[in-house]
Amino acid sequence: MIPVQCGRGGWVNSRSTLAKAMAIVGVAVMLSLAACSSKKPAPINGGENNPGGSQLGENGVGKGGGNSLEDWKNGKFGAQGPLSDIHFAYNEYTIQEQDGSVLKSNASWLQAHPQTRVQVEGHCDERGSEEYNIALGAKRAQAAKDYLVTLGIGGSRISTISYGKELPLCTEHDESCWSQNRRDHFAVSE
Amino acid sequence: MGQAAAQAGPITITIAGPGSQLSTIAVSGLKNLGGDDEHRVGSAFVGTLRRDLELSGYFRIIDPHAYIEDPQSSGFELGQFNFADWRSINADFVVKGSVSAGGAGVKLTAFLYDVAQQRRMMGKNYNGDAVDVARMARRFADAILEAATGQRGPFDSKLALVSTRGGRFKEIYTQSIDGQDLFRLTGNPTINLFPSFDRSARDVLYLSYKSMAPALYLADLKEQREAKLDSPHGRVIGGTISPDGERIVAAIERDGATNLFLITREGAEIRQLTDTSGINVSPAISPDGGTLAFTSDRSGSPQIYVMSLAGGAPKRLTYSGDYNTTPAFSPKGDKLAYQSRNNGRFDIWTIPAGGGDPVQVTDGNGSNEYPSWSPDGRYLAFSSTRGHNSRIYIMMVGNRKIISALTEGNGNDSCPVWSGWLGE
Repeated sequence: MIPVQCGRGGWVNSRSTLAKAMAIVGVAVMLSLAACSSKKPAPINGGENNPGGSQLGENGVGKGGGNSLEDWKNGKFGAQGPLSDIHFAYNEYTIQEQDGSVLKSNASWLQAHPQTRVQVEGHCDERGSEEYNIALGAKRAQAAKDYLVTLGIGGSRISTISYGKELPLCTEHDESCWSQNRRDHFAVSE
Repeated sequence: MGQAAAQAGPITITIAGPGSQLSTIAVSGLKNLGGDDEHRVGSAFVGTLRRDLELSGYFRIIDPHAYIEDPQSSGFELGQFNFADWRSINADFVVKGSVSAGGAGVKLTAFLYDVAQQRRMMGKNYNGDAVDVARMARRFADAILEAATGQRGPFDSKLALVSTRGGRFKEIYTQSIDGQDLFRLTGNPTINLFPSFDRSARDVLYLSYKSMAPALYLADLKEQREAKLDSPHGRVIGGTISPDGERIVAAIERDGATNLFLITREGAEIRQLTDTSGINVSPAISPDGGTLAFTSDRSGSPQIYVMSLAGGAPKRLTYSGDYNTTPAFSPKGDKLAYQSRNNGRFDIWTIPAGGGDPVQVTDGNGSNEYPSWSPDGRYLAFSSTRGHNSRIYIMMVGNRKIISALTEGNGNDSCPVWSGWLGE
């Protein structure tokens, strides 16, 4: 059981005008989910033989395989970065046995690149309510963070975020797609 | 906008209630007493009223092409028109009225008549601006339901929802129940979810990833400004505002555990409500502000619990099904509606708020989610994938009749929340 600290007040309350918040959104281009047109599960690559890994320094983070929300906004969603995704069983957040080697590869890469930080993103499939899935995704992200810490990666280098079921890699309504969407994605930054 | 009863006659209750055969109603054009020669004001009133009466599920609107009488050449007061003109087209009820428009604004009078008994059931005068006319119609629709069923109708209210109609991003919108006055509250290309209203629909609380991490935002629709609410306890991933607008229950995630906290609308913490290492989400506050309903996985699967907002031990309400979530209190606080999973899809159920037997109210057509009660407690708005896209629908709880979709157009609609009645 993880105790939640219960301090006094201290909520940040910043004000802004709705006008600012309601800035016009540009015409959104429908995102091409090329990676999802195939119903096969996404390949799980080890960190070493993932070509995206070598591009980190040249292209910078956020050019693909970085933060999913940023990539989704920029129409670059679905690319793999230097670290590989792991996957989960339905409504579960325990690390599956076959993903131990993926996490070990990810940890090796992080150890070889000590200047980097990683944000673990928890994602869910489309079944279930929006809010429950955000909480479930947070559990999945935390599970991978805990695993990486036990492999010797400093906890201060690892942050977590959940996108619930909001950023699916694949939009078919079947298990071949759902299994791809139940994932942790690892976004690396300098 | 002013409103007054116009010499209301005795109320005759002739509609038995849900399940009885639909009554027929004719909504006549308004007689122009000056300033509405092109019938713009009259048409806005009549069009809105017909739509609201249709959405009520109690009435079948008689096609205006069948109307015999010319509203401009006949009167609208009792004794100034011929009931036979309405009886001959099988109208149980007829609405007649008048409008005058000019520099002083719009003056509108409307009456509801019982055709068989040839008597006036109810009448109202409205004064306001031209922009208020649709609202006058909603209030008159609510008054018709009160006259005909003994219970005020729910249409002088608003819906908030999440929609991708503007592109691929989920944004928060508000609209009238009859689909007018669509207003986009958010315009950030990220993720916006979970709108909730205070009772007067002045405030909308919602979750947004617009700062690239989730946080709650409290938007004041009247003052056109908003406040961001972050927490020192962790990351805010959901929340709801109390009916009186004074308090918020926020779902806060820390180290993977999500718990519920009671805070003021300014963000000052009042108390922590749950404390488990698992998931506690989907808070709903009872109309009297005293009770919290929420979803927790503490039993091993998502189930609905209730507890006092003063603190204390939660009581589990749902025992059938392995995925029950998204509770919503009825306006009287005596029932909860929620979504329950069966064969991979959800249906809407209700359960007594004090515990008891659950009742399924949707029909297994598509996935039916995120119920929200109308202010009169007779209807639920919910999202459903029964059509091609996800849409918001209105249903009558008593007879489980799906009446109509409340949204249309591009994109998918979700997370509907029905406000209370709007103020004067």
